[in-house]
Amino acid sequence: MAALTMALPKGRLTEDALGCLARAGHAICSNGSGPSGPGGGVEAAAGVGRKLILESVDGQLRFVLAKPADVPIFVEYGAADLGIAGLDVLREAERDVYEPLSLPFGHCRLVVAGPAGRPERNLRLERSPKVATKFPRLAEAFFRKQGLAPEIIVMSGSVELAPLVGLADLIVDLVQTGTTLRENGLVELRVVMESHAVLIANRASYRLRLAEMRALIDALAAAV
Amino acid sequence: MLAQTFSVDRPLPEGVRDLLFADAVAIRGMASALRAIWRNWSYHEIILPTFEYAATLATDVGAEIDAEMYRFLDRQGRTLALRPDMTIPTARVIGTRLYDQAMPIRASYIGSVFRYEPPRAGRQHEFIQAGVELIGAPGRAADAEVVALAVAALHAVGLPEYRITLGHVGFFRGLLGALALPERLAGRLRLAVARKAEAEVADLLSSAGTVAAAARRALLALPRLTGSTAVLAEAEEVCLNPGMAHAIADLQASAKLLDAYGVADLVTYDLAEVRDLDYYTGITFEGFAPGLGTSLISGGRYDDLIGRFGPAQPAVGWALTLDQVLVAREMQGIVQPEPAADILVSVAARPESLAWVGEARARGLQVEVDPLGLEPEALWAAARGRGIPRVAWPDEVRGNREQEVGNRAQGTGSREQEIGTCGAAHDHGEQGAGPTTYSLVPTPYAGAWVVRDANGPRVLAAGDWEELARWLR
Repeated sequence: MAALTMALPKGRLTEDALGCLARAGHAICSNGSGPSGPGGGVEAAAGVGRKLILESVDGQLRFVLAKPADVPIFVEYGAADLGIAGLDVLREAERDVYEPLSLPFGHCRLVVAGPAGRPERNLRLERSPKVATKFPRLAEAFFRKQGLAPEIIVMSGSVELAPLVGLADLIVDLVQTGTTLRENGLVELRVVMESHAVLIANRASYRLRLAEMRALIDALAAAV
Repeated sequence: MLAQTFSVDRPLPEGVRDLLFADAVAIRGMASALRAIWRNWSYHEIILPTFEYAATLATDVGAEIDAEMYRFLDRQGRTLALRPDMTIPTARVIGTRLYDQAMPIRASYIGSVFRYEPPRAGRQHEFIQAGVELIGAPGRAADAEVVALAVAALHAVGLPEYRITLGHVGFFRGLLGALALPERLAGRLRLAVARKAEAEVADLLSSAGTVAAAARRALLALPRLTGSTAVLAEAEEVCLNPGMAHAIADLQASAKLLDAYGVADLVTYDLAEVRDLDYYTGITFEGFAPGLGTSLISGGRYDDLIGRFGPAQPAVGWALTLDQVLVAREMQGIVQPEPAADILVSVAARPESLAWVGEARARGLQVEVDPLGLEPEALWAAARGRGIPRVAWPDEVRGNREQEVGNRAQGTGSREQEIGTCGAAHDHGEQGAGPTTYSLVPTPYAGAWVVRDANGPRVLAAGDWEELARWLR
């Protein structure tokens, strides 16, 4: 039978995910996929290179490298049997997948932040705040829950910039240490959700290849 | 109302699509295969209306479907809706018309249903469901029959590989009853269990305050209670109340019967499958096939639905989405060829040879008659271009052409041909022939065909059906 396919997020989770897989006995094949010269960034440091599809040394797993927000899509559609995704991305995407294992890395929080000089006032007194974010669904739900009608501005990067140039009043974005916020003169106002990495599984694959899936999940659970 | 004109940029609204030729053959083929199965199992087909009163279809037991319905108004301003599934209309029929009939009733259906749902896995807003309902039979024999029939259906529609996952809402309901959690927490717990998120279940449990040790143990075990019949034994050990025990007993009885049906190998058990908890009242099941990330058949026992429309009746059934089977079959390497004739026949030279065509069709051959009056070479090229593997023309066509070539060499034929073409265009009655001119020089029809396939041309006597059959092989 073909190898199980796992979708891995390119970016901040890559290194920890690969480390976890290696400890579970599924190191990525270094053959032809080593650091690929300048510009390799995090992936190169982790030995992934620029290939998009890789195999584990033991040949039991195939890896698809995807943008973090796309990992739940690969898994929901069954293009990947398994995936590693941040809980933030997972809740934003609302994809129909199993989440059998919580992984102890990629800890961060999704927060509402605003300019440091902004007058201190209760969020509930806002009229209809303009909110820049990469997480429109979660941001909308958060403000709606406060009874507010936010104007959500969907961005695909550099969200911190928005309040600085008057594009938005507030942002909803991921924070790990808070350094980026501080450097841009922003302060954290509310926590929308705490996030960490999660192993996700396709519903059909989980049924059709239960034994292989369970073995892998248990191996990963033992390795974390 | 908004005036709308046809636009080539957007000829179709979202949610609907055309299924052409090969896809239509595949869908109708599946329907035929299913009807054959239903006949053997004595399920009788019903044809249901495409729309009904929205209030009929918007049952409180199917709240999710309610939000997805296409609604519109009739001339009196009453709200109608396109059927979002077939089970609710079937329940309405049973509750209002067939309630005093001898039970059980075994009904089957095939038809389009309509839901505002994002396209997923080959499914648009309109998709085709085929399904069965076994009404008036409570109990395990009915449960097992319907699951076994689901397996038979998945086999019949031509899926090489598939699995059924069987669960029971009574187990989780009983567990929730034992836990007695606040409603909000119970809702979050249900979502976590549905995702098999073990860590989340544990977190929620720790926020629940004091929970009896046995209930804690049962809940933490739940996300892992999936697999062979062995999980039923495991589940039996953590049962806390008669509701949970009854659910396990139902599944164990079904397992035994499914073994007798010969389908036990294809069934996985899963007690953490807790979707549609409000709709179903007993067993629930789904079917999966490799390549399709989602389930393509789902069903279960719903004893509370028919009572909405008339006297209550126990019922169990399933619905299979044919659009998804189409995708799943392709993912498993089954390609439905474009439909094409067995043979393309030219009769332009000899209209009387249509009698032979008629006989060939009566013998089951798929025969296409060339309406363009193509010459043999062009006929062969046309057949190849359209995936038709063979052509045939009356033997005389070749003979006539040779004769014509001879005439042309003498400087007379080409003029005759021009006249003939004009004549045919002005007077369609003449010999019933198209724009060809070969029949200008009549020769007796010898009753033979020149047939041609990839191996080249050969001559076949028109009456020699045995030889024809050999050639077709």
